[in-house]
Amino acid sequence: MSQEKIEILKRSLAREKAARKAAEKILEDKSRDLYYLSEELKATNNKLEHLLTEKSMQLEGVFENILDAYVVMDLHGNVLKFNEAATKLFGYDVNKESLNVTKLIYKEDVEYAMSSFFKLKTKGFFKNYEARVYTKDKKVKFVHINASLILNKDKKPVAAQGIVRDITAVKSLHQQKETILKELEKRNNELHEYAHIVSHDLKSPLRSINALISWIKTDNESILDKNSLQNFSLIENTLETMEKLISDILEYSSAGASLKNNTPVNLNELVNGLINFLYIPKNIKVIILNELPVVIGDKTKFQQIFQNFISNAIKFSNKEEGLVEIDYKELDSFYQFSVKDNGIGIEKKYHEKIFKIFHSLNKSKESTGIGLSIIKKIVDLYEGDVWLESEPNKGTTFYFTIQKN
Amino acid sequence: MKGIVFTEFLDLIEDKFGLEMVDKIINQSTLESKGIYTSIGTYSFSEMLQLLNHLSKNTNISIDNLLLVYAEHFFSVIEKSYPGLLATYKDPIEMLSSIENHIHIEVRKIYPDAELPEFTVEEKTENSLIMIYKSNRAMHHFGLGLMNKTFEHFNTTATIALEKIKEDGTEVKFIIQKN
Repeated sequence: MSQEKIEILKRSLAREKAARKAAEKILEDKSRDLYYLSEELKATNNKLEHLLTEKSMQLEGVFENILDAYVVMDLHGNVLKFNEAATKLFGYDVNKESLNVTKLIYKEDVEYAMSSFFKLKTKGFFKNYEARVYTKDKKVKFVHINASLILNKDKKPVAAQGIVRDITAVKSLHQQKETILKELEKRNNELHEYAHIVSHDLKSPLRSINALISWIKTDNESILDKNSLQNFSLIENTLETMEKLISDILEYSSAGASLKNNTPVNLNELVNGLINFLYIPKNIKVIILNELPVVIGDKTKFQQIFQNFISNAIKFSNKEEGLVEIDYKELDSFYQFSVKDNGIGIEKKYHEKIFKIFHSLNKSKESTGIGLSIIKKIVDLYEGDVWLESEPNKGTTFYFTIQKN
Repeated sequence: MKGIVFTEFLDLIEDKFGLEMVDKIINQSTLESKGIYTSIGTYSFSEMLQLLNHLSKNTNISIDNLLLVYAEHFFSVIEKSYPGLLATYKDPIEMLSSIENHIHIEVRKIYPDAELPEFTVEEKTENSLIMIYKSNRAMHHFGLGLMNKTFEHFNTTATIALEKIKEDGTEVKFIIQKN
């Protein structure tokens, strides 16, 4: 073999050796890396196992502890799992007997149940299903169900779960409430009608008496003495008071009716209208200090309030120059109004009493003692308050508030 | 560049031209690795360029033809090492059109730092395929050799025409028509 050939072989051999060593080093490094990697994997695995155990325990806890019934079923409706509440609600022990949910559906609710089941399959969930179910002992219960599909990691549905709440008691209470409310409404209407009838029936004999009295008076005017004429006049006044009383009671009975006809009411226009409409003696001035607001409510009711306050102020004016001042102030959640007069005033001890029905301090034919009761009733309706400040013989200021909507 | 490309290359040279040629081109080149290659190492591409250049000069065979022959040899390495990968294909057109979306993805799993050429499918029928090769290494003939062998592997042949889109061969259109 030539020297040159030997050299070539030598060099080739040297390269092969070096390559082998390089390969060994690479492999060693790789296997070291692999070792560390596998250690790391082991640690991660351990951690994951712990996490899995922990999460499983948490789920198990939720499953057993929720007060509502929890049901897991396969996609054909076969029950896989009941928690304690579910076992108690339906009466089946699914560990001992197989159960398909279709067996639980109340016969009249089958269609609804099927459409909900279809929704579950297509949309993946349904909510607020309310229907009846049979329990094992053939009792019927009302339940509320929220359900969803359980998906595997490829997002394929594998089962379904539902939380079932027994709402039998709530349903029956609700039904009772509805019945009672209907009954109440009926009664209220009846009462209202009754009040109308009674007032009409009471007024017609009063009118008859009034007519008869006036005929007797006219027929016998020449033979009646002064005393008798005065008595006749007293009878007429009493009859008038009586009629006013009946009208006021009717008004009072309708003042408490629920808040209907809610529209914006321009109180400035309303009160100005009243000032023009009411009979105000020349010596009394009624003025509005601050422009009144537009509020939402029943126009008639606001009219009743202001009319009663203003009439009272006029009625109980005893000064040569009477002054009635209507004012308004806006608070955070209330409108506050006031009606101030310089009339006879009200003693402190009557401040509470006057809002009670039939408590008129002055027995006169215009004063039945119902006006303030009507105001109180309306203000209550608007969740407001009514009160007064007064000094006998100096004047009275009535305040009332109504809640802003 | 992966070491296996070097070791297989030198083995083929030894086989065809003798150990003297291997020794000669290593000595003629300036190699960081000193010509010491192991299949599991990674080496600079410029070393492959130098070896190819010197081999071409010494043998009077063009680099493209050398690459073609080498690729045909290299296909057998793939056949031997990754029979499973080839077995997932029933048809050469299917296999070639999925270089980018399947084969290279698998390659990257084994060699995360591999620098691979890009093969974009431009047109595909049952019997024909047009692909654009892109790589700054301009080793399109290596690709051609592998493609030829691919058809052979499925017991068929094809006519493959190359059209250079860029003069330096870094972007080449492969027009493949199954016979």
